[in-house]
Amino acid sequence: MWIRNIKWQFNSWAILTFVFVLLILLPNLSVFAQLFTEPNENWYHIKEYLLKSYVINSLTLVFFTALFTILIGVSLAWFVSAFEFPLKNFFKWGMVLPLSIPPYIGAYTYHGILNYTGVIQSELRNSFDISVEQKYFDIMTMPGAIFIFTMFLFPYVYIITKSFLEKQAASLVENARLLGSNSFEIFYRVIIPISRTAIIGGVSLVILEVLNDYGVVKYFGIQTFSTAIFQAWFGMGDHGSAVRLAGILMSIVIVILVLEKLFRGRRKYSFSTSKVRPIQKLKLTGIKGFGMSAYFFIVFSFAFLIPLAQLALWAFMTYDIIFTEEFYQLVWNSVFVALIAAILIVVAALIIGNYTRLSNGRIAKAASKVTILGYSMPGAVIAIGVITIFIGLDRKLFPVYEAIGLQPTLILSLSISMLIFAYVIRFLAIGYNSIESGFDKVGQSFTEASRTLGMSVTQSFFKVDLKMIKGAVAGGFILVFVDILKELPLTLILQPFNFYTLATKAFQYASDEMIQEASIPSLFIIMISGLSIFLFHKILEKEPS
Amino acid sequence: MYIEIKDLDFKYQNAKEHTIKGFCLSVHQGEIISILGSSGCGKSTILRLIAGLEVPSSGSIVINGKVMANHNRFEKPENRGIGMVFQDYALFPHMTVADNIKFGLRKMSRNEKLNRLNDLLELVGLSGYEKRFPYELSGGQQQRVALARALAPNPSLIMFDEPFSNLDANIQQKIRDELRDILKRTGITSIFVTHDQKDALALADRVVSMREGCVTKVGKPEEVINTNFNDVRFISN
Ligand SMILES: Nc1ncnc2c1ncn2[C@@H]1O[C@H](COP(=O)(O)OP(=O)(O)OP(=O)(O)O)[C@@H](O)[C@H]1O
Ligand SMILES: [Mg+2]
Repeated sequence: MWIRNIKWQFNSWAILTFVFVLLILLPNLSVFAQLFTEPNENWYHIKEYLLKSYVINSLTLVFFTALFTILIGVSLAWFVSAFEFPLKNFFKWGMVLPLSIPPYIGAYTYHGILNYTGVIQSELRNSFDISVEQKYFDIMTMPGAIFIFTMFLFPYVYIITKSFLEKQAASLVENARLLGSNSFEIFYRVIIPISRTAIIGGVSLVILEVLNDYGVVKYFGIQTFSTAIFQAWFGMGDHGSAVRLAGILMSIVIVILVLEKLFRGRRKYSFSTSKVRPIQKLKLTGIKGFGMSAYFFIVFSFAFLIPLAQLALWAFMTYDIIFTEEFYQLVWNSVFVALIAAILIVVAALIIGNYTRLSNGRIAKAASKVTILGYSMPGAVIAIGVITIFIGLDRKLFPVYEAIGLQPTLILSLSISMLIFAYVIRFLAIGYNSIESGFDKVGQSFTEASRTLGMSVTQSFFKVDLKMIKGAVAGGFILVFVDILKELPLTLILQPFNFYTLATKAFQYASDEMIQEASIPSLFIIMISGLSIFLFHKILEKEPS
Repeated sequence: MYIEIKDLDFKYQNAKEHTIKGFCLSVHQGEIISILGSSGCGKSTILRLIAGLEVPSSGSIVINGKVMANHNRFEKPENRGIGMVFQDYALFPHMTVADNIKFGLRKMSRNEKLNRLNDLLELVGLSGYEKRFPYELSGGQQQRVALARALAPNPSLIMFDEPFSNLDANIQQKIRDELRDILKRTGITSIFVTHDQKDALALADRVVSMREGCVTKVGKPEEVINTNFNDVRFISN
């Protein structure tokens, strides 16, 4: 009995799936295991004098960003789904666009707008002869960082809450209206409680992004876990402590994931796009309607319009010195690594997805959960884990290198394969989600039909399944590609010597106070992400489910 | 006996109770068997077990002397040579009628495939439709394509899951008669699942009545269906 089951399950799909799962787990486990080893001397120094401020800074950022993204994201979502007002249809999509600006780009753009030589202060000086107190125009502070995170991350809360409200809330809201509640009461007493699961889903994405961030906090000089990990590794060369810090950050993330599960309870918010009865929208006219549009416009301006305009201005001023051979090399590098990683991710996601769907055992379900782990881990943690593994692997391979006539040095860990491997771990979940939902939509009956016609699982996959989920594969590929293009912390740590991508070069320019030079690579990134976000939502909107 | 199913037990992974309990059935070659039972009694599950799409927890299935499943053997569906027509037909939407029907044909030359395709199209009365896509066909035509596709690789057994449920009453009878005609002409052993007794009476050589995963009665259609008072009333309606 037992043997037969093993035989039934044990095919190449299963083996490959378990290999992938192992590859994802390995770096994470190697970081985690470090927590239980004997710390070095430097660690006591870090623990004594620094750890507390890392924890406080990280948690402050997380807490206030979460709070403000909820306020802005949920209010926008509620207004869009319950009211009619001027320009609503534009704002409904427009509010997704800030996601196309990575927070680190937002951070140096705002700094460039506000600093002494920036457009505001020079305008005040030159046209009105006003000098301002610098401290009121300094964005490189904790509140400034919270502002940046809030502006460019609130769409996560907005999108998930909006899609929830549009689908689920009609009858509840109507009942509340019938019972005589006004809009504010409905928001407070009905909307917030019933959308709890959606809000938590959105805000946990925000929190994970904040913990993942390296660019904003580094640029603003705020000490968090991410910067501390970088500093310990590169600054002090203290790898042990870097890994230990990564381990602590990892534990925090795991606690957050567990809390999310608990808070969200058993109900799952769904992303399904099936049409259900929408909320009957209240038409706002006159001053109320205008006020509503103004609110949306203000958020839209700060989160998208203003930074984009500033970047465009800089780009206009610098395009002749930027568009050089070197720039094209940069674009090529970015596209190249993103392309390779995205292809690997799609292949791995297809294999894991097909295996879990066909075997639907408990182990298979667990495999699909593991893919999520990588996406939750901050880039710095994954980077540290991957380096540790690769260096270990290189050492093991020294005899092999010698045998084939190479120098026994670090070969793998100085190559681009390490970066690509880390991308795969971090972004597999994105590709996997898309492909899994594609499989879900198609169901199993076509595969089963194919098998009763004499095709094996693998033959069925190529002849039937793959062709039927083309759309989901393409969607997953685009999402992954764009996410990798924007990625900063992993790339900064793992990029080989003298290898830059658009993201890391832009960040380097900005860090060297060459903000204008950073504008064109930044605009490139924003343009490509904006396009993919737009396409993706258009596809989602249209697709019947 | 051509098909010999003994003491089959089966439980879905996330179900609490066994869906199939001690199911036994013997079938002669060329026989048309109808499995009858109310919704949820496990009819589709039996077909899935015979086809190899589910793994029984105990019991055995032997077809034409070949062990398909028992305590230490499990033959994969693709090696069983059993054709199946699914309830929703599961025609591949990205393939034409011709490609759907040719899907299961292997180790054949192009010409042989073409000949087989034309024979089958003629058999199910769909000559001239080979270039169409499934969504360009009516429900009855789709059903006949699904039948042709299942018959194409010359299966030793063909099974139907509620083949008429998607069709309206007028066409239902016509298709049913056609189907019996085709099955008898090809002499292929077949099992079909239904919850409509009229289907069973019109089509089957023998009827298996099921309830909660067990066989309650097996016999000639008139015997099985008449013994139940409710059924008699149902038929006289
Ligand atoms: N994948 C599954 N997982 C768990 N339980 C299932 C699954 N598929 C079916 N069942 C359960 O097994 C029982 C038998 O299902 P089955 O589909 O065989 O019924 P059926 O006789 O074909 O019904 P119908 O006439 O409605 O098609 C039902 O109680 C059903 O709920
Ligand atoms: Mg059924």
